Amino acid sequence: MAANEEVKLFVNGKRIDGRGADEMRAVRIEVGIIPEADGSAFIEWGGNKIVCGVYGPRECIPKHDASPYHAIVKCRYMMSPFASAEEHSKSGPSRRSTELSKVIREVFENLIISEKFPNTQIDVYIDVLQAEGGTRTASVTAAAVALANAGIPMKDMVSAVAIGKADGHILLDLGKLEDNFGESDTPVALSNRDKKILLLQMDGLLTKDEIKKVIEMAESACGKLHEKQADALKKFYEHGENEEFKL
Amino acid sequence: MDKKIVLPGDRIAEGRMNIPNAYTKDNGTYAAVVGTLDNEGHYIALENKYRPFVDDVVIGIVISVRSAGYEVELNMSNTGFIPARMMRMDLSLGDFVLCKIKMVNEVGDIDLGEVRRLPKGKVVQFPSAKVPRLIGRKSSMLILLKEYAGGDIMVGNNGYVWISEKSNVPLLLKVIKHIEKKAHKSGLTDEVSAMLQKETGGKKALPMENPPSAQMNRGMEEQEEEYRR
Amino acid sequence: MGEELKDIIMSSIRRDILINTLNSGKRFDGRAFDEYRTIKVQFGAVTTAEGSARVSLGNTQVLVATKFDVLKPFADRPTEGVLMTNGELLPLASPSFEPGPPNEDSIEMARVVDRAIRSAECVDLDSFFIEEEKVLGLYVDIYVLNHDGNYTDAAAIAASAALLNTQVPKVEKGKILRGDYKGPLNPKPIPIATSFVKIGSHWLVDPSRDEELVAETKITIATTTDHVCAMQKGKGSLSKEELFSCMEIAFKRGNEIRKILME
Repeated sequence: MAANEEVKLFVNGKRIDGRGADEMRAVRIEVGIIPEADGSAFIEWGGNKIVCGVYGPRECIPKHDASPYHAIVKCRYMMSPFASAEEHSKSGPSRRSTELSKVIREVFENLIISEKFPNTQIDVYIDVLQAEGGTRTASVTAAAVALANAGIPMKDMVSAVAIGKADGHILLDLGKLEDNFGESDTPVALSNRDKKILLLQMDGLLTKDEIKKVIEMAESACGKLHEKQADALKKFYEHGENEEFKL
Repeated sequence: MDKKIVLPGDRIAEGRMNIPNAYTKDNGTYAAVVGTLDNEGHYIALENKYRPFVDDVVIGIVISVRSAGYEVELNMSNTGFIPARMMRMDLSLGDFVLCKIKMVNEVGDIDLGEVRRLPKGKVVQFPSAKVPRLIGRKSSMLILLKEYAGGDIMVGNNGYVWISEKSNVPLLLKVIKHIEKKAHKSGLTDEVSAMLQKETGGKKALPMENPPSAQMNRGMEEQEEEYRR
Repeated sequence: MGEELKDIIMSSIRRDILINTLNSGKRFDGRAFDEYRTIKVQFGAVTTAEGSARVSLGNTQVLVATKFDVLKPFADRPTEGVLMTNGELLPLASPSFEPGPPNEDSIEMARVVDRAIRSAECVDLDSFFIEEEKVLGLYVDIYVLNHDGNYTDAAAIAASAALLNTQVPKVEKGKILRGDYKGPLNPKPIPIATSFVKIGSHWLVDPSRDEELVAETKITIATTTDHVCAMQKGKGSLSKEELFSCMEIAFKRGNEIRKILME
């Protein structure tokens, strides 16, 4: 679709994929899908499919990265070359994935009780297999579950969602087209218990009131996401395995 | 007994309580890992990272021999150290050892003592949060396993499980995997007993002479009691 | 401590007890020597790709996705499409995998799968010609998601499954119309790789991680219904008799796996 083409993103209270303004895409979370990892999770969020694996605390390499006071959190967010419906992209880190790795890491540095594991590192690997807008928020939601599955002590759970503006309306959980052609995009991650903001980015133009509305919307959406995370973990620990898992 | 699953950040007790795998904030105590909470308020971790404490019994693998002593891999981020002056025998690279933790400091150094070399066998990983279930009340689970698989089996607090080469190894691996999956369920010993009978056709194995575990695993039974509550 | 060092030390100890168990006719997971772990195939796992499949061999999981782009052909083959196979050992798949550029293991795996597909001639590259200086390029991306031994076989099976699942996009004015398809790729014949390791005097099919670590010899044989289409010897050595008997088994297992894929 050409960028100069007029795209109507919000018509008669319905969005381009038929959702209402405050409706999320379907979310499915699975736990323990990578038996080799200390903890793992898979999230299918609309057309996004993301796997996350956690290792550690383990010996810090290189050694000069280590801290004698706490464990270092390392995060690697990567997009597969086949993740987009368009052309095949180059594999390996990009400027975008480097930035996202950093903001996702900074979410979990707030939550992980790292003082108990001096001189070690905790690795959070996130691989986006299929992308449809909102991969960073889906990644945070999945990584929280993987860390819980790994038994890494955390002060709280976290979930995240992107809220944007398109055709003058504030819309929950932007899809790919809305992200590309909308006016603003604000990914937000909130801790579950005390609703602290752990990730916040924004582009486009929003008024003060609109930002308030964005945060309120994020609070209610993250509450729902937390329930999905809890259900996924409960289901896993009821059965103790996840053999029937499908991507 | 009613058990529900709690997640990191869930409130598990009023007031500031000193509970393992939990933390306190303001006037409450909160879970730090996924665990179960029963209706009497007992919180038990389903997943955790093993943290060494003095007097823990651990199984390790010798990975480095130095003049001052031996470095031992302990299924965790830090290795343990056996000072050579503590030893009457020589160890070699790759030996399995059973030891007690004598000292742990703030930066994670671990000193080991009361070292015993284990005979040939296989060491497998087991989640340390679930170790008490693999041992069972008064070692009932281990006794059951040995009855059907023969040989010997030993469990360290650090989650390393040693299986003697005289055991029926494929059978033990299968059953240990099963115990790992069903660790939070009650009636586990009965279930495992039924599984062993089915797998072996009820045929028990000959016990091993002088099994190295004869004086082992005491002290960990108390943890199993806690798990059951 | 790095997992690698631990693995090296462990392998010498594991060897004794593994051989003892093998001598009694069993493997640690109770399989027969020439038996694969349970094979599961999920077609179309990634919908942004033109074809995809996720294959599990026991706990080993590999995802393969195929994607088309318009590319410039190679100068020496101006009318032929381009096939490119890439392998990634994701660091989330195993404690022994590290982030970074492809290493020799992932490159070897990708090249073995590439040779199997190419030699089997299952993709008709001539049909990928669009116009002068423009052909379709087919990317085959291999993602190892969980490594519990023998990701090579899983990758080859997943690659064949992904090709079976692949739809060829329509091309107009030298551009791909995404989401608009000419029809299925119809690869034929289907290559399947079968790996063997030798431990002591025993030859094992589809080695687990435990078995791979202590193995003396490793060989991968890729077959179609009536031809061998790629071979790769890893570490160790073997006699020609051993090679021939492995080949027999490779054809047998290959046919069984092809049957699973065609279902």
